[in-house]
This record gives sequence, C-alpha cells and structure tokens, in this order.
Amino acid sequence: MKVRFWGVRGSIPVPGPQTNRYGGNTSCVEVLPRRGDPIIIDAGTGIRRLGQDLMKNACGEGKGTAHLLISHTHWDHIQGLPFFHPLYKAGNDIKMYARQRDDTHLKAVFASQTEHLYFPVPLAALKAQVEFRELVEGQRFDIGGARISCTRLNHPWIAMAYRVDVDGASVVYASDTAPFTDILLEHEFIAKPPEPGAPLRPEDKAKLDDMRAGLIELSRSADLLIYDTQFTADEYRVRPHWGHSTPDDALSIARAAKVGTLCLYHHAPARADDAQDVILADCRRVVAEASDGFDVIAAYEGLEVELGEQP
Amino acid sequence: MRIHFWGVRGSIPAPGPETNRYGGNTSCVSITTKADALFIVDMGTGVVPLGGSLLPQGFGKGQGSATIFLSHAHWDHIQGFPFFAPIFIPGNTFHVYGNARSSSMLEGILEGQMNPHFSPIYTLKNLGANIEFHGVTVGETFAVDGVTVCARANPHGSTTSLAYRFEEDGRSFVYASDAGYPEGDGPSPEMLELYRGADVMLHDCTYAPEDQETRRNRGFSSFTEAAAAAVAAGVGKLVMSHYDQDYADDFVDECKVRCRAELDRLGGADIELVAAAEGLELDV
Repeated sequence: MKVRFWGVRGSIPVPGPQTNRYGGNTSCVEVLPRRGDPIIIDAGTGIRRLGQDLMKNACGEGKGTAHLLISHTHWDHIQGLPFFHPLYKAGNDIKMYARQRDDTHLKAVFASQTEHLYFPVPLAALKAQVEFRELVEGQRFDIGGARISCTRLNHPWIAMAYRVDVDGASVVYASDTAPFTDILLEHEFIAKPPEPGAPLRPEDKAKLDDMRAGLIELSRSADLLIYDTQFTADEYRVRPHWGHSTPDDALSIARAAKVGTLCLYHHAPARADDAQDVILADCRRVVAEASDGFDVIAAYEGLEVELGEQP
Repeated sequence: MRIHFWGVRGSIPAPGPETNRYGGNTSCVSITTKADALFIVDMGTGVVPLGGSLLPQGFGKGQGSATIFLSHAHWDHIQGFPFFAPIFIPGNTFHVYGNARSSSMLEGILEGQMNPHFSPIYTLKNLGANIEFHGVTVGETFAVDGVTVCARANPHGSTTSLAYRFEEDGRSFVYASDAGYPEGDGPSPEMLELYRGADVMLHDCTYAPEDQETRRNRGFSSFTEAAAAAVAAGVGKLVMSHYDQDYADDFVDECKVRCRAELDRLGGADIELVAAAEGLELDV
C-alpha cells in the first residue's frame, strides 16, 4: 500500500511562506491499497487537492468509489469535504464512516455542515451517491481487501483512531488525542485544566487506562503509526484539556506497540517549518539514545510512504 | 481610514508556495479609523493573524473593543472566528453586525459554528469576550465610532451578501465581496448608489471571465464585471479580492493586467487598480 499525506496541519489551515515545506492544509491522509479503492482518513482542506487528483481517473468519469474514515467532525477534519470534487460527479460512490453519536445521526451532522446559511450546496444536492456508516469502537470491517479496526481516543466529543491492514502491511491513524494520564475528555465542556497533580477519579483513570491499552493494541507492530503531536511539552502543560499530545506521548505509544515508524502529525498552526524541523530532530535524538529501534518521520504535504508488498 | 488586507482568497484557504505573494487566507479586512477605532470586515482565516497582531495592544489585557461587519455567513467569511485570539479574553468587547433580520438570528448563525460536533468551544457562551449582535437593516444608515455605515444586499447564488459603505470625513470605502449579479446585468440601481464615487472599492474578483461562464450559478463576479461596476459607479480606486482558490499568484498577476485593460476599454482609465494581497495597507 501507499500512504499519501494531503494535509498535516491541526486546528486551522495556515497559508504562508512559513508553512511551505510541511504544508498549511488541515488533516487528510490517503491510504491506497495496491488494488482497490482509495481509503481516505479525514477531510480537512487537504482533501481538495486529493479530490482533484482522483478526478483524473475513475472519479472524473463518474465511475469512482472512495471510502472516507472520519476521526471526528471537528472543523479541521471535515472542512475540505464541500470542496471534494468527486462528490459533485454523478455516478461516483462515496462511503463515509465515523463514530456513532448518542444524539445525532452521522448524516445529520454532515448535513448541517452545508446548511444554506453556511454553504451554497446542501448534502441532498450532491450528485454522487453518498452513504453513511456509523461505527462503534472496537468494530472491525472490510473495505475491499483491507481490514479496518478502530478504537476511541481521548479528545473532546471523542475521536476515533483507525488501523488499515492491507497488502501485508499496516498503518494506524491516531489523531486527535490527549495523553491518557491527566484528564478524561468526553462530552463535558472543560473550561480550565485540572490543578497540576490533582488525582483522577478512579473511574476516569480506569477509562483512560483502557483507552491507552486499546490504542496500543490497535497499533501493535504497525508499520506506520501516524500520531497527533500538536503540542510541545510546555504547550501541553497549559492546555491539557484541548485534547492533543506531544512527541513524547507518541513515542511512549510507539514503543509499547513496537511500531516500525512513528509519523509526527497534526502540526500546530503556529508551528513554522523551522520549528517543526527542530521538533523532529529532538524526537529522533531521543529515539537514537534510547535505542528504540524504530524510525521517526514528520508528515508533510506530498509525503508518500510505501509499505508492504511492492507491485 | 486605513485599510489592511488579512485574507484575500475566496471559498477555502489555499496554502502553498503558489499563493505566497497574494496569500492563501480567506476573507478578512481591517479598518482603522481616524480616532483609532478598529473595524473588522469578515472573519475568514485572515482574522487569525489579525488577532495575533492585536494581542500586544489592549486586546491582550482584555481592554480591547472592535466592531465586526459580516457580509454573510458562508464558511470562508466566518471560519477564522473560533481562532481569533482576542475573542477568548474576558474584558474585550465585540459588536457584530451581519446579514440577518434580527440580532438573535445572527447569534444563532455563529452559535451553529460552535456546535460541539464541530468545535471544542461548544457554545459562544464559552468565549471569554463580551459579544453583542446587531442585525443590519438594509439601506439604513447608522454611525459607529464616528463612521457612517450603510449596507445593501447583493445576490450571491442561493443567498445574499451584504456590501458595506464606510464614510469618514467625506472619504469612503466600499466592501463588495461575493457579488453574483444576474448575467448581463451589473449591480442594482440601489447598489450602484451605495458604490457611487467611493474613494476605494473592494470588489469581488473571484473569476476570470472564461471561468465565470461555466460557474455563474455560484454567485461570484469576474474581474470584468468588477471593472464594469467600478466604471458605472465612478469609484476612485478598485481593489480586486476574493480570488479563486486555484488561482496561483502568476495568474492573479495576469488577471490584474487584464482587469486594467478592461477598465481602460470601458472609459475608466482614471480609476486606479490594486490587486489585494495579504499585508497590503491602503489609506483612504
């Protein structure tokens, strides 16, 4: 399989010369099995260019199929969807997958993204066939020859991590998540971070322990682990309730799961390219000193990673 | 009035080296009045760097106040709002004027953006600043910080978009983004009056005419329509903005050259032409 990065930024797109190398588009990764339809994870602004790319092939003739796994529906993970050209071509088949919500059907959530006050083309007017499939954590299912697994993450309103196994290789996408140590993030709005050192409620700690174990299990021996590393340690300290991790948190999961390569992802909007270089270099130094035995890369727009059996 | 351009792109932010010169952020303009009051027109992603620039001033200490004017609520005109840093700081005050029949409708539109499915903010009530909403009555003139303001609605696909005229000491700035005139028609007579004789007019220039032909239903202007409106209204300076997300810098350069030729052809040789770019400032 081939993994292609179309958007690597968190929170909001950041155009400008300071993001030219890593890229300023929000989250979107394409997993392309050697045979079969593309599996797209998240629909940030990066999906616009991916859509243009897909229109050069079957989607351009209205004969394309694409599967979209959505980690969660925060803006930076769906804001490119109305600009995904295959949706506007009759005959295309777009299948959307995301975590089931307690109160609202997935389709209703996406329909409200394009209500007429906010966007000129409503969901109902899209020419492609669009289907929604709601997921529960722990579920496994197949897309063509690919096996998909998922588990939940520690993020406000809850995000889902996905694993794709195909062509004898595996990739895990774990964004967005806070570490599993200081605060449990679910549906409640948390205005302020907890006092440093404040003990967790036992039931929250049990949930976080389960969540971490679930993510390690999902990531077990994965060839590539793509991980939310939006924060530096200092940034995390003041914003543990925002639901993002640091490179050290990612290293801890990568070690425990014995992955092949860790990919830093979901870069902070304020992170200029040079600062991201430093974060990557620091992370590589830690891995080398600890003899961890895996590689670290930092995602950038246009990055392509080949995994497993080669054609 | 001093105008600062923070976001000049239409529809969706367009990061990448090909947009470095004009910029890839979506719509946002700031106006600083003679008395140093701050107006913000539209809150595309350009409002994020604007917010950052305000923090060293009173806004960083919760002592800031500004007035926000929204043309309409399509995403590219409001998507920067939840990332506008001064909105989180208690003590700051923002008055928001927009395209709604009542203040509660306007509040509801922005509340929808904060819905917990989409935003970790959950509700406007979690923003620290004091925010007051004002529905705009089309055609009615009102005063804000010594500036006379009037808005009228342009057709914009299935909805409408407000154009604003700001006047201070006899000098005027018109903001007319997302203007989708009916084919073959320019602005309505009432709209033309709003534009009339403006010293500076920012006008929707989303498309080159060859692209406009196939995309007219989207409710935007081509630069030829912008040029025609500028000549008909007798403005002093036409500012192109809201470029299509796929237009690279070199193509915007080309659009500007062609727009200049169109102005000259229509008898507007004395109209100055500016292509808006992030960071550009103009004194009105």
